[in-house]
Amino acid sequence: MFIDKSMTRDVLTIDPETNIAEASALMRQHHIRHLPVTEQDRRLVGIVTDRDIRSAMPSVLSSEEAVAKETERIAQIKVKDIMTRNVVAISPMNTLEDALLLMQRTKVGAFPVLDQQHRLIGIISVRDLMRAFINVLGIEEPGTLLCILADDKVGQMKRIVDAITEERIPFGSILVARYWEEGKRAVFPYLLTGNVARVKAKLEGLGFTLLNPMQWSLDQLPKKSGESSG
Amino acid sequence: MRRTGFLYDERFSNHCTSPGHPEHSDRLTFAYRALEEAGLLAQLTLIQATPARLKWIERVHSPRHIFRFEEACMLELGEFDHPDNQICKDSYDIALLAVGGILKTIDLLMEGQLDNAFCAVRPPGHHAEANRALGFCYFNNVAIAAKYLQEQWGIQRVGIVDFDAHHGNGTQQVFIGDPTVFYYSIHEHPSFSFPGTGREFERGIDEGYGFTLNSPVLPGQGDEAYQELLPRDLVPAFASFKPEVILLSAGFDAHADDDMSSINLSTEGYSWIMQSLVELADEHANGRLISILEGGYSLKRLPELIKNHVEILLGK
Repeated sequence: MFIDKSMTRDVLTIDPETNIAEASALMRQHHIRHLPVTEQDRRLVGIVTDRDIRSAMPSVLSSEEAVAKETERIAQIKVKDIMTRNVVAISPMNTLEDALLLMQRTKVGAFPVLDQQHRLIGIISVRDLMRAFINVLGIEEPGTLLCILADDKVGQMKRIVDAITEERIPFGSILVARYWEEGKRAVFPYLLTGNVARVKAKLEGLGFTLLNPMQWSLDQLPKKSGESSG
Repeated sequence: MRRTGFLYDERFSNHCTSPGHPEHSDRLTFAYRALEEAGLLAQLTLIQATPARLKWIERVHSPRHIFRFEEACMLELGEFDHPDNQICKDSYDIALLAVGGILKTIDLLMEGQLDNAFCAVRPPGHHAEANRALGFCYFNNVAIAAKYLQEQWGIQRVGIVDFDAHHGNGTQQVFIGDPTVFYYSIHEHPSFSFPGTGREFERGIDEGYGFTLNSPVLPGQGDEAYQELLPRDLVPAFASFKPEVILLSAGFDAHADDDMSSINLSTEGYSWIMQSLVELADEHANGRLISILEGGYSLKRLPELIKNHVEILLGK
């Protein structure tokens, strides 16, 4: 899962000498929030975001006279004056997981992708990652999600997969999530079928618990022993 | 009492699926028997099916889809594109018969011989897309019916209400950009149920934006959710759209005893829904309502639910 397979290659850039009003218009026109700032040879010198620009604009609460004065001032502001110079960039051989964790850590919504000569070759944004994970989840194909509670020990996945395979049901994806009860895992198979009644009964017959959908969660941290569960 | 048509044909049972498949011919034969035992058949106008002409199927499906379906049946492949979609040699002919019967029912209604009707057909239709069979569906019965109403009978605005437990992805796809057919569906939330479409933000596209409306129901929410969502979503939508005829995709698989969903509707809940829809048709469409069977797989419950459904259509 390398970045270069999921990044946007056709990336809009802007020159550091451009006026910020022009940068703002460009972002609005293309529905984007991040503009890498490059010099000749696509060498990255910074990045400017819609937020940077908004903070440079006059407040909507200012008087008309103040706005007029401000507008004149803004006409003088260039991208290089407000851009972030210390850019968090990423390499095409970083992975999607790298990007996800880095986004969580830096709270940045998009990373320019640079080749070894520090030239801009793409950008990877939350949007690109979402697309990749929608694909991984398989949720754009018709199917049904189940949630099976399984003991966290070797061989459980095989039993689940075998039971589903015996019913000749194709898989869209399988997620395994941590579950709040110690020693348990929540297994989410996304099955490409509308006919799950029989396989559900079969799994229950094998001793698995099918979790009530209103209790599903992909985001449950395991409780430490001693804490009550439930 | 109203003049209610009842489309049923013994040949609908000739579309065979394997034992253990939920969409089984017993669904219809059991339901028919329940109507017979309740003495309702004598009060209904019985309609026999005749095969639809291909030109009407082609108003919704690509020639390639139609041809491939016919060929899969001829070759007795056993399934069409997916293990869910089981077929036998006769399935193609029976699917044509189901559509043909519905078109005949429309003729009777539009000629003024009926007030409303229930079409007990197999195979079901609302998952079938222009180019793909899905979820036991091959031809999209209700979508073809809407096209026929418009093109054969000059109806300008058709309202479709789909209360099957599953979203009618096929019907939505056919009319997604069409402002003349309003598609409303109430179904189990797509994160918990097949086929994974029918989210609140799916509202149509281009000219058809605002003419698709979905009310997802969370698992287990049952009658109360429907009593809240239908008046909140469907009633105002149809008040402004003003459908001239209402078509129903009637699925009975949201019942608590049906293992194809977790919605948990009660028998009384189903009656309440149907009563509300009959009133909606009276208000906007001169009572003109044609209900077409989709899902409903509990052999214990389906006959009773269909009996109640038909009684409400009759106005009993």
